[in-house]
Amino acid sequence: MSELDHVRREMATVLQQPGVCPDPSLRITRRTFIHRSCLTGAATVAQTFAWWPLLNTIDVAYAAEQPFKFAWVSDTHLYPRSLNTRFVDKVVRAAKEVQAMNPPADFMIFGGDLAQLGKIEELELGNELLKEVGVRKVFIPGEHDWYLDMGKKWGQLFGQPNWTFDHKGVRFVGLDTVSRAPDYWTMRKMSPEERMGHMATLDGSVAGPWAGVGRDQLDWLQKILANWDKSRPVVIFSHNPLYEYYPPWNFWVRDWREVNDVLKPYTKVTNIHGHVHQVLYNEIGTMRSIGMLATSWPWPYAPEGVPKLTRPMVRADPGDFYDGVGWSGVSMNNDRIETEYIMWGRKEVYAQSPEDSSLSQPEILRPRIADRIGPY
Amino acid sequence: MIARTTFLVAVSRASLLGMLTAIAVLVGPAVANKDPVTPQQLQAYEEVFMEQVKKGDLLFHGDDATAKQMDVVLSTTGWACAMCHPFASDTHPQAFPKFQVSMNKFATLRDMINWCIEKPNQGEKIDPDSDAMKALEAYIYWSNTGSVLVPGKY
Repeated sequence: MSELDHVRREMATVLQQPGVCPDPSLRITRRTFIHRSCLTGAATVAQTFAWWPLLNTIDVAYAAEQPFKFAWVSDTHLYPRSLNTRFVDKVVRAAKEVQAMNPPADFMIFGGDLAQLGKIEELELGNELLKEVGVRKVFIPGEHDWYLDMGKKWGQLFGQPNWTFDHKGVRFVGLDTVSRAPDYWTMRKMSPEERMGHMATLDGSVAGPWAGVGRDQLDWLQKILANWDKSRPVVIFSHNPLYEYYPPWNFWVRDWREVNDVLKPYTKVTNIHGHVHQVLYNEIGTMRSIGMLATSWPWPYAPEGVPKLTRPMVRADPGDFYDGVGWSGVSMNNDRIETEYIMWGRKEVYAQSPEDSSLSQPEILRPRIADRIGPY
Repeated sequence: MIARTTFLVAVSRASLLGMLTAIAVLVGPAVANKDPVTPQQLQAYEEVFMEQVKKGDLLFHGDDATAKQMDVVLSTTGWACAMCHPFASDTHPQAFPKFQVSMNKFATLRDMINWCIEKPNQGEKIDPDSDAMKALEAYIYWSNTGSVLVPGKY
């Protein structure tokens, strides 16, 4: 049995025991409807379906005190404007659409990977572009934001990488799942740029299992949840999924067992995460987990480990830069949350037939080889 | 008399042919100059292939030094092939040749590589028979080793 299979079996044993599941009130229904911006903007952008964002929703039941909305934007991967304007244009579009939400969002969460190579210029560009969004903004970092200067510029712009606040009956938590990578750079005498380069390569082998919550942050999480009623809703934002999906691409946190231990007593936990650039849904223990789109580019599903509960998204057209990407609006309306994937290039977010999904073509893949040689 | 001579010549030719066949069967590959492959040869063949795979891996992951060395410009946007195709996933070399919708034509893997270089990466198309193309092809095929051939599949 491979190491991956071993971890997967262990996870199933720990997290998917008989009778252990999210609170039954967190049931899922799915709906499709036309986004309001689609109707109001039709006169100018109706020439192509690529500009018709139809929303697919996952409805979950909660007990928020008052209806409200918030927006999720992540994985913008900005280069300096002089090198790549395509990603800039997408952030501009997302920011305008978030700002145009009606009723307006109470806040916007940015879910990490604002920059591509962690440069000051890239982070400042992202910060500048998102000023278009007038509502409250909260940020968590991605690995691309961190490993050039170890989070220095990020901290100056956005403050602490983890935080919590209560809003209309829901406890929101922002987790930092990126800054605790095992040190792969000191012994190898890497420059900051080299360290960042390895971290920025999703399928690289040098940076290793960098995604994790860390004992100190788990203690903090336990502390900030201690006074919260165990049947009240908790929404946890993280860059990486809080379970094991595909470790070779850090589609996980390495300490998911400990995360589960802390969250186990709470019955209405929803984790919303970025990093995967794709539609994902999973239930593990008493927590549900929802993966969000990137604005930059979509990733195919990993060759194995895709949660069985995931309804796969469409296979994107590489010739359409707005296909397979977008942002999400989340509505909390009395007793339900609707998570809306706003995918710019599609009428339908979900694959309508097996051929519409990247999962229709089985793959057997090998990890890369060239970064196992060379100066390190 | 003439008929008897013709008969003897025919018998002699048949005998000669039979002898040559027997020698060929008995001596076999040595006479045909086909020595069994040696472990050293296998290693050498493998090394030639893996050298191309490694070069292709570096090109695929946007290594500037390798691109410069091979005199190619695969991207001008900062984008590299691997950013959309980690582990060369979703490249589907096993499905080519096929009708490629994004190109609206019947295409080979090399056509597709060049399309990606030109469109998403906004780089410079490369010679389909160039060393860089062969290296990229070697890496993509190697990464997908074990995937089942399904030529023509969408």
